[in-house]
Amino acid sequence: MQPEPANIKGFPPSGIATDDAMLVERWRGGDSAAMERLILKYQNRIYNVILKICANPDDAAELTQDTFVKIIQRIDKFEGKSSFYTWAFRIAVNLTLNYCQRNTRIALHSLEAEDYDSQTQANQALKDFLSDNKSPDPAMAAQNKELCDIVIKSLMKLDDAQRAVIVLRDIEGMNYAQIAKVLDIELGTVRSRLSRGRSRLREILETISG
Amino acid sequence: MNRGDINIDELLNSYIDGELSQEQQIEVHQLIADDDQIAHRLRDLQRCKMLVACLPRAQAPTEIFSFLVARKPLRRRVLAVAAVAALMAVSAAVIYSIFAPKSAADRSIPGVTVATRFGGKLELTTSDLTAVDAFINRVIKDNELSNCVHTASLANRKVYSFRGGRGSLNLLLTDLATIWERFGSAKLIVETPKFGEQIIVDTVTAAQVAQIARQEHWEESIRLAKDFAVLNNMADSLPGKEILAATGENKPSLITIPKPVLTGDSKTVKHPTPADLDTKDFELTIVVKVPKVLSD
Repeated sequence: MQPEPANIKGFPPSGIATDDAMLVERWRGGDSAAMERLILKYQNRIYNVILKICANPDDAAELTQDTFVKIIQRIDKFEGKSSFYTWAFRIAVNLTLNYCQRNTRIALHSLEAEDYDSQTQANQALKDFLSDNKSPDPAMAAQNKELCDIVIKSLMKLDDAQRAVIVLRDIEGMNYAQIAKVLDIELGTVRSRLSRGRSRLREILETISG
Repeated sequence: MNRGDINIDELLNSYIDGELSQEQQIEVHQLIADDDQIAHRLRDLQRCKMLVACLPRAQAPTEIFSFLVARKPLRRRVLAVAAVAALMAVSAAVIYSIFAPKSAADRSIPGVTVATRFGGKLELTTSDLTAVDAFINRVIKDNELSNCVHTASLANRKVYSFRGGRGSLNLLLTDLATIWERFGSAKLIVETPKFGEQIIVDTVTAAQVAQIARQEHWEESIRLAKDFAVLNNMADSLPGKEILAATGENKPSLITIPKPVLTGDSKTVKHPTPADLDTKDFELTIVVKVPKVLSD
């Protein structure tokens, strides 16, 4: 089963009449159009997952490119034990987490320098969103750039491992079993990381909103 | 949040994510109905999830697709080209064995085929990206490496994806070595057969990259990369490195690494060696970018 991002603006409808396994076979048989379709199908989704984990558009673009270069290099070794979807994301997330490990100091430095007080309007919007008294408006939140920036920067304050699980679940829409395969961890670990990650994120956002 | 043996947060998150069985869902409904605190916590977590889920999605830069498609030509075409190349390689090898100058011998390798498959990524930073890019493009042109190197431009970086034979790689590194001092940092990342495992060689030199890449087997390249990684880290942490840097010595002499000869007596060999004609056994992605501090 491969979930498609629901109602995401800008994403082409993927998975319609195309089966990844079939495309992989055709690609291995020499059909470069099949390879192109797979790249087109997943490049935005992989880019978005990487971008939300590393929070740097340039690095995300490079890591996306690296991911597909690896996929191209290894496609003949892909045994089909897992789906192409989880295999491709596994490569992407591994590369990204390695990148995050190498660049920890830079990420922390940029976060420490951030001044949330200057974004009072966004803080108020965040406060309203988190408040139990008002109904949250996701459409409004999505259009509020400053608010989105706060959420992205708050995500960056989480452990890499927790952030990866949250991004795979809430951005990419994977189920727990798929996340477990991508990160090569137990299902229970997915549950606990997700739970701890969301709790921590909630604390960070509450602190920022004042 | 815990209650007895049950981690309520985990249960609520699984509920939000639709990961519970029907019986478990009924349990959660009961918990929410009986306990305001749990109901409040559920709303907290739902809002948190909603905030992340509604983050806008970005489009991947179009350069990525064009780069990848350019990098991977039709396999049928590759096979046809490979057949022609193999024929050319055999002919070239015969001609080369007769006419090859002795000075160029160290640039080629015995035999026509190479058993290794080196793959790595070289990350270089420079404050003068335009000049470095112009230089590398000239190297590619002068050495007729355009068939081996695909380039891509991203915002603050240039990516050169090399795929070719040992001789071509040496030509590229030889010229790169001449401007190595203009790079603020140089890092080589070598993939290992173990999934997700990489070896990172910091403050790598062009000579070290060439030496790692030129090993007959991938395992040897990995072993050498590990050695250089340790040595370079040791060299960087040794006291007095500032003095050595000031006197022009990049590494302490006690642990000087035997450097391979990158350049011949002259730079007259501009064309790939016969070994290059039928082998694409080396893959090196070179990323040249502006340092973080400058790019932010």
